Amino acid sequence: MPKVSMFIPCTVDLLLPQVGEAAMLLLKRLGVRPSYHPEQTCCGQPLLNAGYRAEARRSAKHFLTTFWDEDIVVSPSGSCVCMIKQHYPELLKDEPAWHARALAQAEKTFELSQYLVNVLGASDVGAAYHGTVTYHESCHILRGLGVTEQPQHLIRNVRGAHYVALDNAQTCCGFGGEFAASYPDISGALVRDKVRSFLSSPAELLLVSEPGCLLNIKGYLHRHHPDKRVMHLAEFLIQQKVA
Amino acid sequence: MRQRTERFTTIARRELQNGLSQTFLSLLPPGFRALRAMGMSSFPDPDAAVEYARAIRASVVARLPELLEEFERRALALGAKVIWTRTALQANEIILDLARERGATYITKSKSMLSEETGLGEHLRKGGVEPFETDLGEFITQLLGRPPFHIVGPAINVPPEEIRDAFLAGAGLKESTTDPVRLGLAARLFLRDKFKHLKMGVVGVNMAVASTGTIINVENEGNIRMIKSSPPTVVALMSPEKVVPSLSDAMHLLRILSRNCTGQKITSYVSLDSGPKRDSEIDGPAELFIVIVDNGRSEIYQDPLWREALRCIRCGACLNTCPVYTKIGGYPYGFAYSGPMGQVLNPLLLGLADTRDLYQACTLCGACREVCPAGIDHPALLLSYRARAASDWHGPQAARVLLRRSLATLLAFAMTHPRLWNLGIKLTRPLFNLAARDGYIHTLPGAQGWFACRDLPAVPEKTFRERWRQDHGQ
Repeated sequence: MPKVSMFIPCTVDLLLPQVGEAAMLLLKRLGVRPSYHPEQTCCGQPLLNAGYRAEARRSAKHFLTTFWDEDIVVSPSGSCVCMIKQHYPELLKDEPAWHARALAQAEKTFELSQYLVNVLGASDVGAAYHGTVTYHESCHILRGLGVTEQPQHLIRNVRGAHYVALDNAQTCCGFGGEFAASYPDISGALVRDKVRSFLSSPAELLLVSEPGCLLNIKGYLHRHHPDKRVMHLAEFLIQQKVA
Repeated sequence: MRQRTERFTTIARRELQNGLSQTFLSLLPPGFRALRAMGMSSFPDPDAAVEYARAIRASVVARLPELLEEFERRALALGAKVIWTRTALQANEIILDLARERGATYITKSKSMLSEETGLGEHLRKGGVEPFETDLGEFITQLLGRPPFHIVGPAINVPPEEIRDAFLAGAGLKESTTDPVRLGLAARLFLRDKFKHLKMGVVGVNMAVASTGTIINVENEGNIRMIKSSPPTVVALMSPEKVVPSLSDAMHLLRILSRNCTGQKITSYVSLDSGPKRDSEIDGPAELFIVIVDNGRSEIYQDPLWREALRCIRCGACLNTCPVYTKIGGYPYGFAYSGPMGQVLNPLLLGLADTRDLYQACTLCGACREVCPAGIDHPALLLSYRARAASDWHGPQAARVLLRRSLATLLAFAMTHPRLWNLGIKLTRPLFNLAARDGYIHTLPGAQGWFACRDLPAVPEKTFRERWRQDHGQ
């Protein structure tokens, strides 16, 4: 039975615990033994994006120490995984021992859908849904990790679900961490466009694989279109009853 | 050029409320995406073509000093005069002097973002030499007194009614018309007249070929060819990074340059000029001055990461794909270069202190990096500017820098001390939830930006970690 250590993003820990639980349950159903390392905190991405490289380096080292003994690390967030796989080696390039650890960590770290499809070879994860769904391609998952087919493959294999492509699915939703709070006009215009694409599609449910995008779109929908739903792919993939 | 980068947010808001700009901008991504896809698909192997272009630009940046020296040697041998200037002002003064010495009361100009950067037009006008922009779009923005909206289409957003009014007032338009053909003809007649008896013309440079001393210009209107062939004196204004090693490198970049933006396999006109007119030739300028403007680039070059910004070939593809640019257009960037191109270049040229919004107003989505044929990692550069700015204790924002730095130190400390981290998260919950109702938070002090257009899910009773511990007894 493969063992996976789950990295829970801070946004999920605090605001979206159901996403983490869904990811855990999903792995269990696929015969994986997921664990949660209690020493984990934040990957440090907000620090790096705000320009605090030394501080981000400290959190990177904490992460690398925490997960050193784990075989595989999986996270339901593409941007945290990008931080680990791409930014850790760059941040630690001047410290050879840490750099080597970062490279080793990069090899064994996966975004959830990437792990499910590329490593486990999953197609049908046992989920069922009655209705039409669509999917927003989060920037860090799509362009950061090059993961685009995997989530769509999993969605297409959900019994009863009709998958339609989202217009401008690959355009940023306007989250961008601090950007959303610092540039509300621009961020607001971007999330409005994203929601417009969703509203003009035949889908009644929008799926995303990134907690940041989820918070952004969910918060916008609740304010303006409370009858419309968005959820994390992991939450969607554990649904078994045909609604 | 007068910089207004500090008004980014204000102008962005204005543009977001400008229905005309919004309608136009909404057409950009799908339109250019289709054009680019069409253009790039004409390569047998588009990815390889892009990689080759990136490799050429990488080698240009790596070998910049020696390539420039080689270019200068070749250009001098062909009879051109090469003038190096450290600052924009020196370049402007030299060009003004050249015009005055030749008794020119006016000059014609090609569209050149470098001349926007140096503020050449304004300098010439103040010095009594009238500069006429000859690129149609640039001619319109000049008449309207506006900065370029888009690097390829400076007036692409201006409606025909405004062009009509500007032409009636300043371009000798006789009839009141919004017919594009008639407007185009009016500009043509007006500008053709300027090419007669022209004493001096100024062009930008798309590429300068080191191995041959050749200057290459690409255009779609023929105005640059007119400038290069009409007057006895031609001034070519270039920044150092325009140099490319060889003609074959230049040919490949030409293949990429227009395909990557407008989708054209090649622009309507491409001129390659090697030195001034030779005795055996029947036309061409008697003198060719090549003015190489440094304007801070040598300093930028000292930083191994920042010099990567000099790879840019100004194709404009990054503008067309940027989620931020395609919402706010070119005006908020407040300088010659807009979009991601401007976000990486302007802070280096103007200093990080005055351009904060340019490197902060980015979601790091990476769309620009993906389409960049020069291989620029825009997000990495912006992150590096943020890092530099976060350590700027002496700038005007010192108090803010100190506050944010303290917060970051505290956060990093908590992130490396799990107990403290979890305690912090636990204490955060009631604060977050003070304003919660129906399962959502609707406002929080200090986070008005987030709540301007959206809510936030209320913080659940237990964090993931607490729920997990409860179920698994860790």
